[in-house]
Amino acid sequence: MNPEMKKISWKELMFAVFCFMHSTILRSGFIISGTRNDSWAMAFTGLLFTLPIVAIYVALLRKFPGKSLIEIDDIIFGPVVGKVVSVLYLFFFVSLAVLNTRDLGNFVVDYMMPETPIEAIILLFLIGCVYAIHKGIENLMHLSTLLCIIAVGAVVINSILVLKDVQPGFLRPFFQLDLMKYVQGTVSVAAVPMGEILAFTMITPMLGKRKKAAKPLWLGLIFSAVSMTIVMLRDIITLGPLVSIVSLPSFESIRYVSLGGILTRMESIYAVVLVVLFLFKVSILLYAFVLGLTQILSGKGRTSPDTDNADQSPEAESPLNPKNHPPLVLISAALVFFYSIFVFESVMENMNWGATTAPFFSLTFELLLPAVSLLVASLRKIGKVREVKA
Amino acid sequence: MKCRKRARCAVIVLLLCTLLILCLCSCWSKRELNTLAIVLGTGLDVGDQPDTLKLTAQVVKASEIGAGSAFKGGGSGEKAYVNISHTDKSVLSAVRGITHMQNRRLYFAHNEVLIFSSDLAKLDMAEGLDTFIRDHESRMHVNVLISRGKASEILKEEAELEKMPALHISGMMENQQSNSETVVVTLRDFAIAALSGSTAPVAPMIELYESEGKKHVKLEGTAVFKQGKMIGELDKTQTRGLLWVTDKAKSGAVTVDTQGGQVVLEILHSSSSLKPVKDEDGTIRMELSISGEGFIEGNETNKDMSRLDNVEMLKERMKDAIRSDVGRAFEQAKMLSADIFGFGTAIRREYPEEWEVMKENWDTVFPKIDLNIRVNFKLRSTGGLTEPVVPGGEQ
Repeated sequence: MNPEMKKISWKELMFAVFCFMHSTILRSGFIISGTRNDSWAMAFTGLLFTLPIVAIYVALLRKFPGKSLIEIDDIIFGPVVGKVVSVLYLFFFVSLAVLNTRDLGNFVVDYMMPETPIEAIILLFLIGCVYAIHKGIENLMHLSTLLCIIAVGAVVINSILVLKDVQPGFLRPFFQLDLMKYVQGTVSVAAVPMGEILAFTMITPMLGKRKKAAKPLWLGLIFSAVSMTIVMLRDIITLGPLVSIVSLPSFESIRYVSLGGILTRMESIYAVVLVVLFLFKVSILLYAFVLGLTQILSGKGRTSPDTDNADQSPEAESPLNPKNHPPLVLISAALVFFYSIFVFESVMENMNWGATTAPFFSLTFELLLPAVSLLVASLRKIGKVREVKA
Repeated sequence: MKCRKRARCAVIVLLLCTLLILCLCSCWSKRELNTLAIVLGTGLDVGDQPDTLKLTAQVVKASEIGAGSAFKGGGSGEKAYVNISHTDKSVLSAVRGITHMQNRRLYFAHNEVLIFSSDLAKLDMAEGLDTFIRDHESRMHVNVLISRGKASEILKEEAELEKMPALHISGMMENQQSNSETVVVTLRDFAIAALSGSTAPVAPMIELYESEGKKHVKLEGTAVFKQGKMIGELDKTQTRGLLWVTDKAKSGAVTVDTQGGQVVLEILHSSSSLKPVKDEDGTIRMELSISGEGFIEGNETNKDMSRLDNVEMLKERMKDAIRSDVGRAFEQAKMLSADIFGFGTAIRREYPEEWEVMKENWDTVFPKIDLNIRVNFKLRSTGGLTEPVVPGGEQ
């Protein structure tokens, strides 16, 4: 296959990061229910909390340019332990794919088609994801710019439409809750939408070895934090105290729009954007999982640091591209399908998980494992030594 | 070889297409227009058995809406709506109960008004509110009204300019800005007030009256709620007082008495701001400043109201009228010990620490709070006339 085809630009990656996070931002109820009218500030504190985490990823990617997370594991921990660590990451990716698929299914079932079995929706949704991966993840990345415009456009349009009903007074009083609530909110924001950027360490090799992976990650993250602040501010000033009891604040705030009795029922914009962004996100997570699986199964255990043959792109070497393994994509999608049906019995279970367990679950993979990897790498003195910045 | 591959490809594509057709033909949650009963208004009454409520849904009869009176002649046309009632333990079971009687399912996405009878409101509002806010079909911009008498009767009013009573009522609610004597409350406003913990929600009241043998509805007064129950009412002037405080009085006519007779002033626009102020001794009082502009709409006297001393006099009268409206509303609120103005929310925003102490016994603290009113009213013009049509008096 042609390695030229697989290249993406850093801007596309940045927009992809934005779209990836924006899907979770649009359903920010799990954060707002905790920190109420101060939730908008959590976007900032969450960003601050995420900066060192992403710094770890960036340091890893700098040490091993052009390598994906799974390949890096093999280099750092050796063929056996590396595989174990990689399997843990894969478990995380597939779990995220499952949780997001389930979220989408719940949204469609709760708000649009209550009588439809969730299985039917998830199945159709996953067919879309498989199709997207089959056509090549780089095409999805090329699309990210367009999706980003749509997502931002929807936020702007919806924000303008609700202007009539906003009451800025709902933001006050500032910061009156217990400190613990804010800590929880910060960790939730950092772990759930922002830390999930980890999945992009499977995509960054597509930038090619010459390019830095850091810039798109940082910028995407910052843009997401800004849009998160705007979305949350909008929801708080439109819904007031209602914001903390509705399941989907953004959905409800747009639902109230009624301009001259003509411009009503604008939540369809939101629903379309949400479904498209979720498709994007789950495709990336599924791709990360499948690519990782391919890399593990192909048994490319490289124990020695591999810094010299810098010109060869990893995709060109071998059948490491999931495109060449359609059965694997389908099997993984089937796994996600069944896993997402059984993962939660109800939305309440899902919410409880999101509020209590999810941050710790996510941080294990997003913070602990990469930090250990980086530590081991620097102790064993492998990888490029320059620019070790964490 | 190539040919076989192509044939296989074609078979696969054909199979896929057939599969996709299955997705197209229908889906589970489909709703065809001819199977829906589109609800435009809902009334909730106390049921005849204990612990039940009666739901009345006003459903459009689409065929009658289009039938113009030009063809049928006045009076011969059937009603464009059907009111379907059912009594059951809860809102949802009543809605489902209606399926025993109708071949169409009630569809609430276009519901415009939600009327609670005052009897039900005095018992419990929570159930109807929760269901209508929680359900995915209904929307939060539904107007909430409280009826004196039965809500189901209100939905039977014989509106003359409109075919559907529910649309008549919702249209009326849109007009209320021009008189500033009715609160306009949507489900969302109600929920926000109820959730604030201190603000007492309010809702407009609607009642039937008979004229020339026909039943009509009118909006009059405001119902006041506390802990999900209706605890009292405000009359017309008190309602206007409430609207002055909550910055909702935007327009309206005010009649002031002068020595020579009545003068009608129209309010063009107005705004008010409510601010808690902490005194040196730590007590919190509320500062309300209202500013407005108006012009002379009618002069029943024979005096020249364009004279500056008369203008000053009218302004003073106007200010007094506003003060007295607000004062009356405040008196009534004190009597009910219900914070209809949102003082509590204002204090919480401005002095969160003091509020933590006050909120514990807000019911007893609220009636003791001082309210200072400052009114600034400008009279912009005398309208189309400078002097009265029938002159007289001193010129």
